[in-house]
Amino acid sequence: MRLGNIDKTTWIYLGIALALFIVPFILTGRSAQFIMIQIFIFAIFAMSYDLLLGYTGIISFGHVMFFGIGAYSTAIFMDRLDASIGALVLAVAVAVILAAIVSFIVGMLTLRLKSHFYAMLTLGLAGLFLVVAEKWRPLTGGFDGFTFRVPDLLSTSESLYTLSLISLILIFFGLRRFTNSPFGKVLMTIRENEERTESLGYNVLHYKVIASVVSGVVASFAGVLYMLSLRFVDTSVFATDITIDVLLMTIIGGVGTLVGPILGAGLVELAHHWLSGLSDVHWIFERWIILYGTVYILVVIFFPLGIVGTIRKKMAKRTAVQARSIKK
Amino acid sequence: MDSLLKLQEVEAFIEKYHILHEVSISVPKGGVTVLLGRNGAGKTTTLRTIMGLNQVNKGSVTFKGEEIRNLPPHHIAGKGIGYVPEDQGIFGELTVGENIRVAMKKENQETTKRMEWVLELFPDLKKFWKKPGGQLSGGQKQMLSIARAYLNENELLLIDEPSKGLAPIVVEKVTETIEQMKEEATILLVEQNFAMANKVGDQFYIIDDGQTVHSGRMEELQEDKAVMKKYLGIS
Amino acid sequence: MDLIITLIINGLATGMLIFLLAAGLTLIFGLMHVLNFAHGGLFIWGAFTGVWVYQLSGSLLLGIGAAIFTGLVLGLITERLIIRPVYGNTMQQILITLGLMLVLQELIKVVYGPDQVAVAPPEYLDGSFLIGDIVLIKYRLFIIAVGLLVFIVISFILKRTKIGLVVRAGVMNKEMVQALGINIQVVFMLVFMAGAALAALSGILHALYSGVIYAEMGLEFSILAFIVVVIGGMGSFKGSLFAAILVGLAQAFMAYYVPFLSLAVNMLLMVIVLIFRPQGLFRGKE
Repeated sequence: MRLGNIDKTTWIYLGIALALFIVPFILTGRSAQFIMIQIFIFAIFAMSYDLLLGYTGIISFGHVMFFGIGAYSTAIFMDRLDASIGALVLAVAVAVILAAIVSFIVGMLTLRLKSHFYAMLTLGLAGLFLVVAEKWRPLTGGFDGFTFRVPDLLSTSESLYTLSLISLILIFFGLRRFTNSPFGKVLMTIRENEERTESLGYNVLHYKVIASVVSGVVASFAGVLYMLSLRFVDTSVFATDITIDVLLMTIIGGVGTLVGPILGAGLVELAHHWLSGLSDVHWIFERWIILYGTVYILVVIFFPLGIVGTIRKKMAKRTAVQARSIKK
Repeated sequence: MDSLLKLQEVEAFIEKYHILHEVSISVPKGGVTVLLGRNGAGKTTTLRTIMGLNQVNKGSVTFKGEEIRNLPPHHIAGKGIGYVPEDQGIFGELTVGENIRVAMKKENQETTKRMEWVLELFPDLKKFWKKPGGQLSGGQKQMLSIARAYLNENELLLIDEPSKGLAPIVVEKVTETIEQMKEEATILLVEQNFAMANKVGDQFYIIDDGQTVHSGRMEELQEDKAVMKKYLGIS
Repeated sequence: MDLIITLIINGLATGMLIFLLAAGLTLIFGLMHVLNFAHGGLFIWGAFTGVWVYQLSGSLLLGIGAAIFTGLVLGLITERLIIRPVYGNTMQQILITLGLMLVLQELIKVVYGPDQVAVAPPEYLDGSFLIGDIVLIKYRLFIIAVGLLVFIVISFILKRTKIGLVVRAGVMNKEMVQALGINIQVVFMLVFMAGAALAALSGILHALYSGVIYAEMGLEFSILAFIVVVIGGMGSFKGSLFAAILVGLAQAFMAYYVPFLSLAVNMLLMVIVLIFRPQGLFRGKE
């Protein structure tokens, strides 16, 4: 690819990405860097969700199961083998393969169903994973979980920051290419009108399953990074709350935009941090989920496109108006 | 001539698809007006649009001189328009009696009288009063649907392809019924079966690609071979 | 033997509670094609408000009345403000009702505090009968009786009254109901309110059954209701009773014999039904 072929927005995104590499030199506090790392990780997770929700029109309430698979694979390998890079690579491989297999099976079994059923079924399946994690004590440590060490190379906040940022950038551009490809275009026609896509001769199930496998794998990888940053695992990595979190990130940021979920992850994580920090000021901030839920409901009713979607629509309108006035 | 129902340059979409481009119809009081045209020309959409089941984008729909475009369907029905959809819209798990009860807005002398008249016209309905609507034969379903549309002092009946999927002998029976009904109410009929349309119709409109392209008295149409061939594929 | 009877009665009581929750869910889905993920929120609001009034007044009847009233009001507000703007858009409905669930759950903590609330049945329903060796706990029998009563009343309404006929007709063909001159919006609203009231009733009854209530139990319980709706067939009222009893019994027996599997078994049941018979056991193919 020649450099001249890269469009303007790509340059902008690359510029922002480069700027983010400098942040750790300015924000030297560990907790500030930790928040940034969490944002990157959840941005990756939310993008994987966006691939389903925004690009294919699938609502999953059980997406956390892939996140949890990645998390437990990492934790268990780090704990049982040793905290070496080799074990980590193995853990990532297992996380990715397991997530691919599970998402393939779940997809084949459930993606034929209508959206309500699918949403419910994924909610149920994620519940099953949670139960398994709770009951399989010898392996998972049950409800209490366990702590573990990570490779020395990744034990500093800065190195983890770099790793998650690089992952975010690679996955962002990867998914961007994927969604802009002919394959991605088919996914979007499925979202618009499933029957019509089917009648055009596309095997809708095939496309949906592939989308869900890609999404599952990316989510699992987010789970891996999450573990590296936490160094502790418990059953909460399978909790429905996490699914709801990424759902909010994706919706607020803007479905079907990839950038939206990143922005959403930033906003939600920051809000999370600031609002629960404010609980010393007034008890109502302990109940910040109300604010959160209300904002989310309002967004669904009034800005179904989310922040990025709404801005893009406005810009598209403006350029259309400009184009028209030029014609005149 | 005073018209009961009037559509003027009606435009309608289904989702993104522009189905009706310019439909203008005037249905006089009394008699049967037939909508003809090929499959997919927009006949069913026209009826649905009158009924308020489809949004009107442009143009006007007036009933008894009153604008009814984009009113909710139940208001439109309340003004005295009965609708017999293409699939008859029978509630399959409800009995014949219950199907009729759902349709009856009030139970007064007028409706009871109408019901008696209808039951005389369709003795089968009385016979199968307690049978689930889903178990009726095609012809019986058609009768039930027409009876249901007629019950509520309705002045105008919109009937969508009543002959569809019926055996010739049943079609004859339905044709007879419509001829009897037209004494009591005005009918706007969509029909592919030309013989039937020709028998019951007084005047016709031809819709092609979402536009009314031709109209006139029914008996004139038979003479006009060119129009018949061009729009209806009948020679 | 007496153990089995006790378990059956436990199962029936739980089943009736789930039925009350699922009945509304299934009718709302059948009629409006809205899968209300906030149904569990109405359940906890019924529980907390009902218990509050009950403990304040000492009258269970007043408590139940308060719960039902809360359900009706919340149902009205929810239908008007949350569901109506997004009719016809499945994705938005699913997302928005889930959001409402969160808000309702957190609001409970704001109004009634974040802690669990303990509650016991009134004296006349406390304790048990002894028939031979079999212990019959009064309150459980009471729940079963209420459940059956609700089933009979709703069945009667659906079968014999005009509004019931309209609801059943609406489940089959909404457009036709409108074309017959019936304002379906009003029907939607009434059904939604009734469903919410049933959920709230289930909430207060469940509160006294389990003896302790907390905000998160809404989502837990509504998953059971979803399972029931799926097994019984979306929109099938009779199916919801049958499936609720099935799930209730499975729950009771599993909780006794293989406790760690009890939730998993119901989930598995739902997964199997969804995969092999997605329309549910009580509905013909659509």
